[in-house]
Amino acid sequence: MRLRWLELTDVRVHRRVVFEPAEGLNVLVGGNGAGKTTLLEGIGYLARARSFRGTPEEDLIRRGAAGAILRGEFEVGGGRRRVEVELPRGSRRRILVDGKRPRRLRDLVGTFPVVVFHPDDLDLVKAGPGLRREYLDDLAAGLWPEAAVVQDDAETALRQRNAFLRAAGPAAEAAILDVWDAQYAAAGARVYEYRRRVIAAVGAPLEATYRLVGGAGEVRWRYEPTWLGEDTEPEEAILDALRRRRGRDLELRRTSAGPHRDDPVLELDGRPLRSAASQGEQRTAALACRLAALVVLGNHRGEEPVLLVDDVLSELDPGRVDGVLRALPQGQVFLTTTDEGLPRGTRWKVAPDLVEVAG
Amino acid sequence: MFEPPIQRLVDELARLPGIGRKSAQRLAFHLLNTEEADALRLADAIVEMRRSVRLCSRCFNVTADEECAICRDPRRDPSILCVVERAQDIPVIERTGTFSGRYHVLGGAMNPIAGIGVEELRMRELVGRVETEHVAEVIVATNPTLEGDTTAMYISRLLKPAGVRVTRLASGLPVGGDLDYADEVTLGRALDGRKEL
Repeated sequence: MRLRWLELTDVRVHRRVVFEPAEGLNVLVGGNGAGKTTLLEGIGYLARARSFRGTPEEDLIRRGAAGAILRGEFEVGGGRRRVEVELPRGSRRRILVDGKRPRRLRDLVGTFPVVVFHPDDLDLVKAGPGLRREYLDDLAAGLWPEAAVVQDDAETALRQRNAFLRAAGPAAEAAILDVWDAQYAAAGARVYEYRRRVIAAVGAPLEATYRLVGGAGEVRWRYEPTWLGEDTEPEEAILDALRRRRGRDLELRRTSAGPHRDDPVLELDGRPLRSAASQGEQRTAALACRLAALVVLGNHRGEEPVLLVDDVLSELDPGRVDGVLRALPQGQVFLTTTDEGLPRGTRWKVAPDLVEVAG
Repeated sequence: MFEPPIQRLVDELARLPGIGRKSAQRLAFHLLNTEEADALRLADAIVEMRRSVRLCSRCFNVTADEECAICRDPRRDPSILCVVERAQDIPVIERTGTFSGRYHVLGGAMNPIAGIGVEELRMRELVGRVETEHVAEVIVATNPTLEGDTTAMYISRLLKPAGVRVTRLASGLPVGGDLDYADEVTLGRALDGRKEL
């Protein structure tokens, strides 16, 4: 995929800015608060209909403006597709794809493939299991659209089960809990199976990218759900776990076991990266994970995703930076940096309301 | 702000689904500028509908009588019950012209997040009808959402002791459409529900 142009109106520090990027690597240079990351955020928002920082829409709107407008055109799947988003302050956003309102946002999942690297990526290795589940689930959804649907179903079933437990209390009717158990077990098992498929697909690329960015040793995923028994089917196993813990769930008024509580871990030479590795190894592994996602998505679709790299390289030593740049695929890449010295790509100077080729 | 009587109508209209501020204003001024009799006829139709329409004592469809036209129709087969979430689902199924049984309106689907449990739905009434009306088959036509599917599963388990056949509407491909236009999920469900030829 390739971004042809981007136009932001009243987005964060920019009143209006138009950006027509080059193919390949685009390096965005500017000081703090110049609006570099805002450009990445704009591209990411058009591609995924949400901010990659997880910030609320309201924060994207320039202070004092009545609303923000983001527009852009992607070259994808052999055609050109225009995405336009209007974010009015205090009311619902409007999204148009090729001038039309999409029937369901779900249909757009994976249409505009982007992969984001940002400084918080380190948390993928270091922090709790939530981000690792999200990494696996997002990648699954990018590879297989049906995965997004079962993730949605599992999440809804879980929320419904928890709402029922909260409302009904210890005297909850068993027959009702039974059907919510069945729904969560069915969807949850599919979520688990997709995570497994992602881990299988990402294994070899992860080893390769880890070596490319200068890592030594063997990085791999290890995923052993506590609810999974010896030789039961996942759906049966989740159902069993829910049944075994029913008394506890009724007391806690929430669901205490299942794929939503799993902890897939990253290991380096068989030791958990979270606790048994240096900060440098963790950073390298986190980058390698993002790069591996990029490789897997690119191979699967026969088209490179757009890569958004937000100020990640400044924390690496120069030898690794070069490794990362060499490891980047041939597709379009956007990279922000405060460092003037990066050697490759088309360099852009960024300031509020301004993006221009740096001379 | 408009004159109070106009503003009041604008506010009321804006509370209707699918009607925003601007449309409400346009409608209010249309009603102001049109023939008085036309406007009053609309007001009268609303009053008349609200006064006369109630729920069928048997199936909870909307009706102006004690029982709805479908329940009163002697040609309808009382041994087949079609369970729907809302009364407005009935005309949709009726238009197919292929269903000749009776209906049962649940009043929604199980949805604890929205505060709807089985107590809020007409489950007990359904069990009662199955027992007293000699029902042989219950077709569950709740929406193909997670909540609709869960409700269908609950009903099938609930009615198991009664020995009645419980079926679920199939989900599948739209007729007259091309296979390559179907989304993966619909196609997957259609595969699951495939039929022997």
